[in-house]
Parts: sequence; structure tokens; C-alpha cells
Amino acid sequence: MYQTPAKHPLSAELPALDDATYAAMWALFCHIGQYWQNMPDPEPFRSQLYSFMLNRINLRPVYRDYYLFAAATLRGLIEQHGEDGAYAFLFTDTDANKAPPETALAVTRQKVANEFMALQLSLGGFKAFGAVNYCGFIGGANIPGQAAPYRTLEADHEG
Amino acid sequence: MKVETLIIGSGVAAAALAQRLLAKNPNASILMLEAGRKVKMQDAAIWQDYVVSGKLPYTQYYDLPYPERDQPGENLSAGTTAVPLDGSRALTYGGSTIHWGGWSFRLKPEDFALRTNTGHSLDWPISYTDLEPYYSQAEHYIGVSGDSNDPTVPRHCDYPFPAFPYTLEDQPAAEAMAALGMAYSHLPIARHGITDTTSRHAPCQTTGTCKYCPFGARYSANNFLDDMQNWGNFPGLQIRLNSIVQEISMRSRQQAGGVVYLDRETGQQVMVEADRIIVAAGTLESTKLLLRSRSDHWQQGIGNDHDLVGRNIVTHPYFIFSGSAPGNPLKLQPEMNFPTLCSRHFDSPAEQAKGKFILINPPGSPSVNLLSKMQAGVSRLDMDRYVTGPRQIQLHGMVEIFSEPQNRIANIDKLNHLGMQETLVDFGQAAGFDPRMQEIQGHVQRLFEAMGATMNAKPTISWRADHAACTLRMSDDESEGVTDRHMRVHGVDNLYVCSNATFPSTGAVNPTLTLAALALRLGDHLNHATGQP
Repeated sequence: MYQTPAKHPLSAELPALDDATYAAMWALFCHIGQYWQNMPDPEPFRSQLYSFMLNRINLRPVYRDYYLFAAATLRGLIEQHGEDGAYAFLFTDTDANKAPPETALAVTRQKVANEFMALQLSLGGFKAFGAVNYCGFIGGANIPGQAAPYRTLEADHEG
Repeated sequence: MKVETLIIGSGVAAAALAQRLLAKNPNASILMLEAGRKVKMQDAAIWQDYVVSGKLPYTQYYDLPYPERDQPGENLSAGTTAVPLDGSRALTYGGSTIHWGGWSFRLKPEDFALRTNTGHSLDWPISYTDLEPYYSQAEHYIGVSGDSNDPTVPRHCDYPFPAFPYTLEDQPAAEAMAALGMAYSHLPIARHGITDTTSRHAPCQTTGTCKYCPFGARYSANNFLDDMQNWGNFPGLQIRLNSIVQEISMRSRQQAGGVVYLDRETGQQVMVEADRIIVAAGTLESTKLLLRSRSDHWQQGIGNDHDLVGRNIVTHPYFIFSGSAPGNPLKLQPEMNFPTLCSRHFDSPAEQAKGKFILINPPGSPSVNLLSKMQAGVSRLDMDRYVTGPRQIQLHGMVEIFSEPQNRIANIDKLNHLGMQETLVDFGQAAGFDPRMQEIQGHVQRLFEAMGATMNAKPTISWRADHAACTLRMSDDESEGVTDRHMRVHGVDNLYVCSNATFPSTGAVNPTLTLAALALRLGDHLNHATGQP
């Protein structure tokens, strides 16, 4: 990553997100792993989530609003459904996935939760489903004499 | 302005050629004119955008689709078979290497004698033996990981990096091929590996986002050109972006004098004089440039006295066979973004007259998509059932087709969304193509049966122009080819074309490694011509 990072000119003018919003987004990320039981310990990825959010805002400033909006939406959902029920509703409501997003719930699902799912899988959430590598996961190099960073065909099959 | 060497384009051909010229003379005066702009590479935010949304930062530099009733589009498909341009090439700094897959096959020795062996098209004016040393150099230049013991083609030098082991996803196809006696091998791929020498190019981290590699491990000419400019200490190397070459001007019939280009930033037409000109702008743009460079010396366009410029275009029909298999007990799923297993069993002398073909086990077979299921709200229990349940599988491949003079490209007097002249593509598939595909389907059917899978109807076939070639073919006979064995335009002393357009035929494999080899060979030829062998 030796080049100057991509940054939208408006991003530098935006105020930083507040701690409460970061906390709400972290809770959302953690609940993805809880709901799908595919990330028992998300803590090592906290800083990567925050970096991801900053990158999204740097590329497209509207993401700051999406995250603020999602935090408010989640507060309302939690009041209405309780904590676990709120996230389950967010992750499974079919109307929330209708594009383009035209409701608060749909924006939270499509612009935030769905992207966090993609990030969560690429950070290791995929492993619960049986694979060793995944598109978006930095698996490592193909180093002679060492095991490949992905599941391979056994040597005696090779033609 | 005057330079020694003017290169039009900035893709692999331009980069490899410039590298070879500068290796011999670091002070060489070289100007590279690129019509496109620069795309930011190896950027974390752009990479993550691709990971979570699939968006790539260079698709804005693709051709638009052909016009349709409710969509203006651009370019024109005039033939009976549509050869889509959208997505086939990237009109940007680095050319199409910015998005290519990196499959780095060599042609086989018999490919160089197509007419002798089959009566089709043309023979190459050079042999495999002539090009073999340059294939090795090209593999080292672009950084290919491959199996040096693969007997598919003769080689005198190992790949720079070892082959990536077959993925577990390859197991069904590998076992089926072995059972049917179809040879398979490691797919040679332009991904840098671990090296004990100093290199500015990071090794592949099997990240599976090759269309936008966060490390620059897949060869992309713009990364190499950036390195040459930033670290190479080449004071005479200049690269100008946003520079659309309008025409080549001639001092006389035998001497090209320079070019006129449009500087898109200023809107000015700029004249550059050059001692020699190398057109390395891809098959379509290289060909169109010669066609529109008309003068009293060349009234039908440079090199076009025999009405050959733009004719004989071919590409590779890319086919996808799909099928379903009953279960997925190994939980096979995409772990890589590039294929590791290919079969060149039918890329053989015995198949040459009918059209050789290769088979690829694609990385997305079986098509397990965890993300789409999670985003659809599927429960964990149902996702587990999905991963182990019936699977959709695919086998991909491409087949050689032969040049026919009525298949051609030309300029249209209209500008595309990037300010470049649009393209007319007049192409029709040969009568023998459908029967050939039926034969191929028979072979794939047997493979599917051996995998315990059921084939779904006919394959999908894309005629997209990714591998467009043969419109400025090399031949020692100027009545049959536009360029000579050194890719010099017949009749012009100082004008060369370094492009797939000069291929007399394409075999069954991706052309890029062959193009890189030809570029390095041209570099040696030019260095020798200027007394710097």
C-alpha cells in the first residue's frame, strides 16, 4: 500500500464519528458472528472494523451518515424487539433487502449490515463453513516446502 | 518535440518493450502516449470496496455495450455474430493488464505452422524454437508461477516461481480427467511468488481479489511502469496520459515521421516527431490507427495496399458448461480467485484442423456463495445444509477459431465516451463452429458423468473480444501479412506494431505471454538495429 490513499475531497471536512456510533457498529459486527455462530471471538478484528468504516467514509463521505443513521435505527429496533430480537429482525427481514433502500431499516441492512457481513466473512467468518481460504481473506503466500494457504488436492492425485 | 522511440499504448507490450530498450540504454529517449487515465492501485479503501461490493475502479474505462433500442451505447456490431467489446479491454494506463486473469500459456510448436498442418489461416514466420528463449524471459518478466516439469511445451528454463498446488476444488475434475485418460496440468499464472532476489513486487497472498490485487502481486503493466518512472533512473522515459493518437504522419512512403495526438487535458492537437514508432495500443486501436492514417503515400491507410489491415480478426469463444452434482460432502467452495487446473489434452496436433481447445476447472466451481446466503438472512442450519447439499459445477474453456478475411474491424466516424474513435466489428462465426462445439460438448459430457454430475443443457458461449487478434498479421509475404517477422509494417522502415494484432493465429490459449515474449524480442531487435545488442 505504498501509494497515497484514495480519499474523497469532502471526507477531510467531516467531523469524526462519535464513540457511541463506533460502539453501535461494533455491536452490530459482533452480533453477525453471534447470529451465524461463525466468529466466537471478534475482538481481534475491532480495529479492522474501525479502519474499514474510515475507509468507507474516505471513499464515499455519505457513509458517515449511513453509520449515524444505522446507529439510530438500531437503537429503535432494540427498544422495540430487545437486543437479540433486534439484530435477528435486521438480518432476516426480507423487505429490508429490497433495492433501492427506501426505509431506515433497508439503509441499515443494505449499506451497513450487509457490508459488515462481507467484511466479517473475509476476516475469517468463512472458516466455520469448512474452508481454509476465502476471496478477500489474506491467506498467505505459496511458500515452497510449506503447506499451501488453502485446501489442496492430495499429492497422490496429481497428474 | 522529438524523441527517438515513440510507443503508443502502455500495456504489457509497451511496458516490456520499454523495459528491454532501457535495460540496454538507460538514457534512451522514449515517449509513451496513453489515451487513458490512471487508476489508483493497491489502495486499501478501493480494495475493501471491491471486497464488500464487487465494484472495480476501472470499469468506467470499459467500452459501453453496443447500442440497443433504449440504450445509446457505442461501437457497432455489423456481423451475424456479436463480438462484445464492453468488458473485453480496459482503456487506461496499463491497458488490459489492469484487469486480466494472468493466465500465462505458451503456444505449442504446432501452432506456428497452422497453414502447413491444416490449410487454415497462416503460418507464423517464426517458429516456436525462435520464440522459446523469449517465452522464458517473458515468464520471468511478468512473474509466472508454473510447473517447470510440465511436459506440455518444451522449455529450456524453469518458471521463476513454483506452481500453485491444485485446490481441493480441483479434485472432482482431476479424478474424472485421470479416469478418462485426459491429461491435466497446473495452470501457469502471472502471480509473483517468494524470491530470494531483490524485487519490488510482493508475492501473491492468495487473497482472492485478483481483479484488484492489494499487493500488486499479479502483473499489471501500470505497476511496472510506475516502478520504472519512480525507481528506474531513466531520464529519457516519459509517459503522457490522456493522449489520444489521431494519426501517424509520414515523411515519405517508407518513413514515418511522428504522430498527432489530442491532449485531452488541454484540448490541443500536439505533433510529436520520432525516429521510430511502435504501435502497441491493442488489436483494435492499433489496427484502427493504421487505417485512419491516410496520406498520399498510403491512400488506404498505412500498410493497407493489399486491403488486409483490419481483416481476419479472431477472438476466443469462451464456453461455460454447467451441471449439477448430488452433494458436497467435502464442503468444496471457492478458496482462490484463479484456477489452478487446466487441461491442454485437446490442444494437440490431432485436434488442430478442427480447432484446438483447452479446459479449465474454474475457481468458482462449485458455486458456494456464503455471503449471498447471509445477506439473504438464511439461518446457520440452512447454510450448513446449503454448503454440503447439491452443488452446481462448471467447466470452462476456449477454442481456437480461424481467420477469415470477411471478418474485420474498422473505424466509425464517431467518438466514444472516452473521446476515442468508435469501432465497427463485422464478424460471423464459421459454419463449422456449432458442430465443433457439439464435439466439445461430448467430451465435457463424459467428464461430467465421471464426476457424477448432470450437464445442464447447452453451454453459454461468449465471443467477447478479450483475445482479439490477427488483424495485422505477420508474414514474410506482404500480400498475406501487414507486418514482417519483426512486426515492422511492410513498406515502412521505422514503424512497428507490437500487439496481438500481429499474430498469424492464436492457438487455443490466452495471448498475453506470447505478446510479452514478442515485445522482448522486438526490444532486442531494435537494440541490435541501433548498435546496442
